[in-house]
Amino acid sequence: MKRSSLPPKWINSLLTKVCKPELLEEIEGDLLEYYQLWVEKYGSKKANRLYVFHAIKFLRPFAIKKSKSHSSNSLTMLRHSLLLSFRNFKRYKSSFLINLIGLSCGLACTLFIYLWVNDELSVDKFHEHEGQLYKVIEHVKFDGSGVTTWKETSGPMAKALREEMPEVEFAVAVIPGSWFGKTSLSVGEHDIKANAYYVEKDFFNIFSYELISGNKDQVLSDINSIVLSEKLALTLFNTTENVIGKTVEFEQERQFQVSGIFENIPSNSTAQFDFVLSFELLKDKPLGVDSWGNLGPQVYAVLKKGTLIDNLNKKVGMIIKNMYKESTRTPSLIPYSQDYLRGTYEYGIQIGGRIEYVRLFSIVALFILSIACINFMNLSTARASRRVKEIGVKKAMGANRMAFVFQFLTESIFITGLALVVALLLVILLLPQFNEVIGKQLALELNANLVFRAFAIVLCTGLMAGSYPALYLSSFNIINALKGKLSSSIGELWTRKGLVIIQFTLSIILILSVLVVYKQIGFVQNRNLGYDKDNIVHFKVEGTIKKQLESFVFELKKIPGIVNASSTTHDMVGHNWSVGIDWEGRDSDKPISFQVVGVDYDLIETLEMEITTGHSFSKDFGSDSKGIIFNETAIKAMGLSDPIGKTIRFMGEKKIIGTVKDFHFKSLHETVEPLFLVMMPEAVKKVMVRIEAGREREAIEKIRAFYENFNPGFPFEYQFLNEDYATLYASEQRVATLSKYFAAIAIMISCLGLFGLAAFSAERRMKEIGVRKTLGSSVFGIVRLLSEDFTKMVIFSITIALPISYLVAKEWLDSFAYRIALEWWYFAFAGLSALLIAWLTVGFQTYNAARINPVKCLRDE
Amino acid sequence: MRKTYIGELEEVVLLTVAILQEGAYGVAITQYIDTQLERKLSISAVHATLHRLSEKGYVNSSMGGATSERGGRRKRYFKVTTAGSRVLNEIQDARSLLWSQVPPNILAT
Repeated sequence: MKRSSLPPKWINSLLTKVCKPELLEEIEGDLLEYYQLWVEKYGSKKANRLYVFHAIKFLRPFAIKKSKSHSSNSLTMLRHSLLLSFRNFKRYKSSFLINLIGLSCGLACTLFIYLWVNDELSVDKFHEHEGQLYKVIEHVKFDGSGVTTWKETSGPMAKALREEMPEVEFAVAVIPGSWFGKTSLSVGEHDIKANAYYVEKDFFNIFSYELISGNKDQVLSDINSIVLSEKLALTLFNTTENVIGKTVEFEQERQFQVSGIFENIPSNSTAQFDFVLSFELLKDKPLGVDSWGNLGPQVYAVLKKGTLIDNLNKKVGMIIKNMYKESTRTPSLIPYSQDYLRGTYEYGIQIGGRIEYVRLFSIVALFILSIACINFMNLSTARASRRVKEIGVKKAMGANRMAFVFQFLTESIFITGLALVVALLLVILLLPQFNEVIGKQLALELNANLVFRAFAIVLCTGLMAGSYPALYLSSFNIINALKGKLSSSIGELWTRKGLVIIQFTLSIILILSVLVVYKQIGFVQNRNLGYDKDNIVHFKVEGTIKKQLESFVFELKKIPGIVNASSTTHDMVGHNWSVGIDWEGRDSDKPISFQVVGVDYDLIETLEMEITTGHSFSKDFGSDSKGIIFNETAIKAMGLSDPIGKTIRFMGEKKIIGTVKDFHFKSLHETVEPLFLVMMPEAVKKVMVRIEAGREREAIEKIRAFYENFNPGFPFEYQFLNEDYATLYASEQRVATLSKYFAAIAIMISCLGLFGLAAFSAERRMKEIGVRKTLGSSVFGIVRLLSEDFTKMVIFSITIALPISYLVAKEWLDSFAYRIALEWWYFAFAGLSALLIAWLTVGFQTYNAARINPVKCLRDE
Repeated sequence: MRKTYIGELEEVVLLTVAILQEGAYGVAITQYIDTQLERKLSISAVHATLHRLSEKGYVNSSMGGATSERGGRRKRYFKVTTAGSRVLNEIQDARSLLWSQVPPNILAT
């Protein structure tokens, strides 16, 4: 026998703890005897394993100590609790319904928000290289305005990363086709418009857009290759089989061979495109995609596993500065999927983004669920008097406190479970509407994950709702309870009131938020933008129109119903072409960046912008093609007192011929920047047409007929400028709609609770009401008496809610450069409406109670 | 009293206890079954079976003296009770009764 080998100690101590003491000795003895055999046979390592294995096998019923509680009893108790809960629900239908409605609405909201949040969090995370996938952004220092963060970089960055950084596995430059608007593709006589992506060779190695056919290393190796999405292939060829090698006509001027087909892009991808072309195609064009001097292309990279991103970023940050000493550009790699939720930068530091909405709605979900839980707590504790005898008897029979806690928690979890079933039905029923509001395609997929989380939600909600009643009800003193005396302490009354106050505070904050969001959205939609955005239709300049722009616009203007037409390089929503320029009499070196809009004759008239001094571009003045028009902000920034006639150096020498009143060319989140308009008919991208109000349909049909005749092979696709403008605020609009519904639900649930409480307190004070009435009190007097308490609570919540909501509203409005002022009456409105709703809720109950015939309630005394 | 039946494993263990007489304790029983019947039982299974048999009253047990091996722990020795031997005999008889009625040649292997 070897003394040295002993089995692991922990397993022996486990046996000691668990096994019956009378059996322990022989079990251990037999095991040890075997152990020594094993050590000789297999060595001590395997013997240890075998020992543990066999010891664990001893943990079966015959050998284990009986625990003190009787397991069969707890099952009986559970059945008993459920039965009691069920009977209670049946007996007090109103409070059961209030709880059920409240909790199921609360849970439905929570589920909706859970689905949404889950979807938001999954965006861009489906790529195989997630974790290794990075995007290049640039922090650019500007004098005056600090640091601007660009989500773009220069085209050669991809090559630099590939060749100079050994940590980089793949890197590509990408240009989304949205730069040029939708592209026309044709197969035979079949013309359609689709979204392009211009990418470098390794694109499909970086992003996991799976190829149905084609090899991901090869599909982009030829400059004449085109890779189609499954959907596009189906529309063009009616099939996805044997499409490889077929020809697709691009903008009626160039032919491409299909080299691959990729699966349709999932909706939780931020990049959305229908086909992919080679990046090389753009290098010949005067876009500067191949120069370090131009910010524009997006660059993505996959890093090798184990790369320390901070160290790499130190090197990447110097790439441009190593070439150009003067440069203030600092490129940096950020995780690709981070950009969607955390894409806002200030002074080069990441400060937020959509994640704020995710947080906001998670908080709202929590708010609503807590309001519903508070209802449950309040109604359960308020109705304690009804169960006081039950508790007393049980306590006298020897039930301990834990048994009560268990019973009440069972009840709350039971009702939450029921509420979850209702909530799931609601979610299934309302999901299409919800999807419409949020602009997503969410689906309720019954998988293990969801079931598990739903179960967790029920458990948490049940515990949250049941904890206070359980602790409170189980704390009753036996003797008082049996006597039927319920000593409602001041503290308890305050807890109940406090809970109501919390409910109403939350509701008022929600009411005010909705009000402010709506006002601001209305303000944004109706603000005078400096031009008239209504009745403007725009479409892309391409094909024949590009070649014969002047005659096209000339003919277009003749169509009846068309007020005016012109063309421009940019539409008015979101603008990005900025330059620095020199001007006559410039006296400081401080760089100002100017936004450039290239226009044709009549654009200012078409958009109805206001010329403040000088004149607009006009054929009557021969030299106007060398003219330049600034906005007022620009004139102010340049410090020119008499601008007309001054010379500007921008693409040759230009003369200022006029100034235009400031107009908004970005969303109202941003202030108007210095801007100028120049004649640039050769570079325009959009035709803008003003249509006579009320004749839109007719005029558009005529434009379509004319367009298709003039520009064969290009489908006519147009957009209304005011609709584009509205999409600038799509996310605000969604927040507005959602918060409207959530606020309504929160208020409804709060009122349900208040209703329950009012009904209950009226019922308990029935005798008092009877006595008062016989003594001559009026109905009104009694209504006042009964509503007094609630009024006080609501007023108290108003005083708490208003400062909080002021701060919340101010914070939100601060994200807009142009915003409404917070008027006092918003707050008055929110407060008064809460009070009014509370009065209506309580008043109905109390009025009924006050009208009762005193004989009825005093009879049985 | 309702008649108690015993299972096959219980029968094997009970018989082994009878065979081993004075030396019938957990490890010995397990190893005996292993060598005689080539049947690998885990020690815990044997313990569980012995526990059941003693609950049914077919075996009783007593602790032996202290040992130097097995860390000084005592062994529990098992003995077949009269009820135990009766049940074994009954099983034997029942089997013989049935075997005698099996027609010849029908179970040829």
